[in-house]
Amino acid sequence: MSDITKSELDRRSLLRRAAAVGLAATPAVGMLSACVGGGSDEKNDQATGTKSADNPLGIDTKAPVEIVIFDGGLGTKYATDVDTPMYKKKWPESEVKYSATEQIATTIKPRLNSGTAPDMINNSGADMMDFGAIVKAGQAADLTDLFAAPSFDVTGKTVAETLVPGAIEQGTYDVEGGRKPFAVNYSFTVFGLYYNKKLFEKNSWTVPTTWADFIALCDKIKAAGITPFAYAGANASYYMVRAIMTSAAKIGTEQVLKDLDNLKPGAWTAPAIKQAAEAWGQIGVKYMNKSFLGLRHTEVQLQQNQDKVAFYPCGSWLENEQAASITPNFEYAVMPYPSVTTSDQLPATAINAAAGEIYFASTKGSNVQGGKEYLRVMLSKAAALEFTKLTKSLTVVAGAADGQTISPGLTSGNEMLSKAGKDIFMGYLWDTWYKKMNDASLEAVNALMFNGGDAQKFCDTMEKVAQDVAKDSSISKNTRA
Amino acid sequence: MTNLTKTPRAATTEPVVPAKDTGRRVNPLGGVAHAALFLWALATVAPLIWVALASFKSNEEIFLDEPFGLPQSWAIDNFADAWSEAHIGQYFLNSVFVVVVSTAGTMLLGSMAAYVLARYKFPGNRFIYYLFVSGLAFPTFMALAPLFGIAQAMNLLDSFFGLIVIYIAYSLSFTVFFLVAFFKTLPHEIEEAATVDGAGHVRRFFQVMLPMAKSGLVSIAIFNIVGQWNQYLLPVVIMQSEDKYVLTQGIANISVSAGYQAEWGQLFAALTLSILPMIIVYAVFQRQIQAGLTSGAVK
Amino acid sequence: MRHGKYPFIIGFLAVPVALYAIFVVGAYLQMFRLSLTDWSGYGTFKDVGFDNFVKLWNDEVIWIALRHNGYLLLLLPIVTIAIALLFAFLLNVGGGSKGGMTQGVWGSKVYRVVFFFPQLLALALVAVIFQRVYGPDKSGMINGLLPDSWEPWLFLADEKWALTCILIVLIWQAVGFYVVLFSAGMGSIGQEIYEAAALDGASRITLFFKITLPLLWGNIQVAWIYLGIAAFDAFALVNIMTVNQGGPNNSTQVLSMQIYLNAFKYSQAGYASAIGVVLFFLALSFAWLTLRVNRSDSVDA
Repeated sequence: MSDITKSELDRRSLLRRAAAVGLAATPAVGMLSACVGGGSDEKNDQATGTKSADNPLGIDTKAPVEIVIFDGGLGTKYATDVDTPMYKKKWPESEVKYSATEQIATTIKPRLNSGTAPDMINNSGADMMDFGAIVKAGQAADLTDLFAAPSFDVTGKTVAETLVPGAIEQGTYDVEGGRKPFAVNYSFTVFGLYYNKKLFEKNSWTVPTTWADFIALCDKIKAAGITPFAYAGANASYYMVRAIMTSAAKIGTEQVLKDLDNLKPGAWTAPAIKQAAEAWGQIGVKYMNKSFLGLRHTEVQLQQNQDKVAFYPCGSWLENEQAASITPNFEYAVMPYPSVTTSDQLPATAINAAAGEIYFASTKGSNVQGGKEYLRVMLSKAAALEFTKLTKSLTVVAGAADGQTISPGLTSGNEMLSKAGKDIFMGYLWDTWYKKMNDASLEAVNALMFNGGDAQKFCDTMEKVAQDVAKDSSISKNTRA
Repeated sequence: MTNLTKTPRAATTEPVVPAKDTGRRVNPLGGVAHAALFLWALATVAPLIWVALASFKSNEEIFLDEPFGLPQSWAIDNFADAWSEAHIGQYFLNSVFVVVVSTAGTMLLGSMAAYVLARYKFPGNRFIYYLFVSGLAFPTFMALAPLFGIAQAMNLLDSFFGLIVIYIAYSLSFTVFFLVAFFKTLPHEIEEAATVDGAGHVRRFFQVMLPMAKSGLVSIAIFNIVGQWNQYLLPVVIMQSEDKYVLTQGIANISVSAGYQAEWGQLFAALTLSILPMIIVYAVFQRQIQAGLTSGAVK
Repeated sequence: MRHGKYPFIIGFLAVPVALYAIFVVGAYLQMFRLSLTDWSGYGTFKDVGFDNFVKLWNDEVIWIALRHNGYLLLLLPIVTIAIALLFAFLLNVGGGSKGGMTQGVWGSKVYRVVFFFPQLLALALVAVIFQRVYGPDKSGMINGLLPDSWEPWLFLADEKWALTCILIVLIWQAVGFYVVLFSAGMGSIGQEIYEAAALDGASRITLFFKITLPLLWGNIQVAWIYLGIAAFDAFALVNIMTVNQGGPNNSTQVLSMQIYLNAFKYSQAGYASAIGVVLFFLALSFAWLTLRVNRSDSVDA
């Protein structure tokens, strides 16, 4: 199965939401008894070559490289039809061993633990591995040299200089010896409020920028017999958390979110968080109904395609995911979250956009530099453009898809990006760093939105969870500047 | 102190032939009993019928129309997609093969162990018995990580043989526990008579005990078939290449991708496809179960 | 003793015990071992003594999960066995007697086939189906059947009822199996006992309590243990059906879900093993208590 080539922007790595239907999501399978205490200190022979201008990573040009791609929403064509041929063209003597799987952890984790890993791994899907734990266990290669290397096809720039702001930071972790990048977060997601452009035009509803306008419009929509705002409480509360986080950042700048990431005492009870939670909580009380708590993302998204729901907080993968359900009367468009207060520190056009979909090179591979070289190929402008064409998802390679009209939703997202200018912020990382905190936030946001909008309770609950995480020595910590 | 006092019909009992008689008593309970049975039957089949109907519908119809409304246009392509993408047939056969072999193995090994534990005194008997019983309490997915290692070390990964052996190992707990209790209740006279006739231990087991224990063996066989048929975690650990997947893994895969892709009709079609063969197999299988359960001892 | 007893015993036990020891005992001994470490699931680990167990004692969610397991443990066996006994009785001897033969009610063959069927569906599959059956708006099967004027029931999205919804699915699936099991038991009760009782003019209710129930006690005990073990699990249903895997607000949280989350999501395999150890001993105590209620431990040679 799964020769599904219809794609969606893969939210699963960055977004960490539960698997969509998550049929007993495959547990990752762990280690060998034989491996206990072993495995990770073995030095395996690494293939290396001589560094040169043409070979900045110093790969052994004859050594084979093994890659494993997640076979899911993005399909695998971008790897088989674009990246691999480009790599082969550059290094004809190096064989690319390719495999794709839906169950990353099941297939890869044992190989990591027994020290026989592939060189480059796409860690994604319902069965993805906890990347923080991989970094902590020393299984992921430091990518500093990759980002410092010259770009594959943009002359005069390093790889890092060709990427959108924040792209590298998202894959950066605290390890002994400082903060280092360990992952390429390849896809680039724009977050906002999605709506049906045609429905809005038909009713001459205009896109609100202030909270007062937003409320007024919601009242109109409600009067028209449509649910003004909805998200899926059963498995996609994550989207709502992100909406609140985005609003909080607009009220008090991204620093508010950095404090959360750094587990700063009092960060969750800060005024900006509370104001954002309060505003959204009222939307929950007035413009949603309880049944959404029990629905899944596919179900709510379908209702939006049927014009039963007007606004839906989501990321730019949405259009692809719903490709099968879009009718001729439906055209996706996206708007920034309206300003909650009149004294917001960031303008109404400010948006949250972040990189996702982890690709990493394994220290346990036999040709780690080769794995990095494959990543360098992926990060070329040409490969990025083809990726966007195939998957309708943007990449972190800045401007790679400029001037392409791929789909209405993507176009709308691109417009939103250009209007935001410098006011694009990466958001937050506590949800990927601290899984327990992430899970607690899903529960807390559901309570806020479906049980009367008690913002104080939301803040206090999360503050307590954050402090518990801070105190728990078994959880490795990361920091953000 | 009520012990298992089931007395299996002695081998000499004639098979019971129901007399054809049309004189039914009218019973006041009948109405209530029928109502209860009928309601439960309805509750059992309703979700399944609903799934079957939904498998012909589009997403829109599934979510926005009457649940038992007929599809507007019978979307057969849901099935085509599910079939071509899901290899349901292949997975189904894999499952059947694994379950048949491993249930047979479980029954043989389990009854051998249980017989010895139930009817022979020897040092270590209790210990081995409790060791088996303790497995009942072991939550299977705590076994996953260690099991993977053990299987890899023994070169059993991704092989039907490996999966069968592991199914047997994980079914032994309950089988031994159940059969020990059952064997203890069987009378000793026939066995002793066989000993007098000069039959050895092994022959006594196969020719005297097993036939006597038929009803218990059938019950536990059903337990094992059902349990192994529905097993999901163990094959996930062992079976990694898709052509070797068992049905539960196949369904899980479809379900996950249907969730990403929001192709509900296809998911329901796949569910229907995987349910159908079971209905057919079960209809055949049912007669044998009934026969096995009611046949008593074989002469 | 008789000649050749020990070679026979060893011969019969060797293979099953070896298989069992390697794959099952080996696995759970490793679980015990890992419960004393801080292993994340990746790479190396160090020993932390009983830290995991201390943490577990202070973990509120674990206590909530434990309560829910208790609820399932109490209700799942009682309700399932009661319903199954009733149906088995009706199907086997509920139809009164005919020509001196007690028999089941009309259509009992069909019923038996229908009831048993849910057992053939993998739990994961059942969960996917019931997720839609319980849909909290008009698209759900049950809500779709209710009159339009009613407010839709929330089912799994309602904190008060979510766990009960899970329980109902477990019962729905299990009943048919135990109907067959008890039917088998009833089938081996000699007809002549019933006939004698029926001739004495005993009602069917009397028949049930005076004859059927005592004679089936062993079967019931086995069913009890099996269902109890199932109640300790319930993982597939909670994982697939519930809001946020164990919600809303932890109202469907169970120990197996906690093991899963810690082992595979929070990268705390050591802690998950500790929860596994607790679950293991709880289930063991449950089985032991059930067996203690009435059990002769005589071993005949």
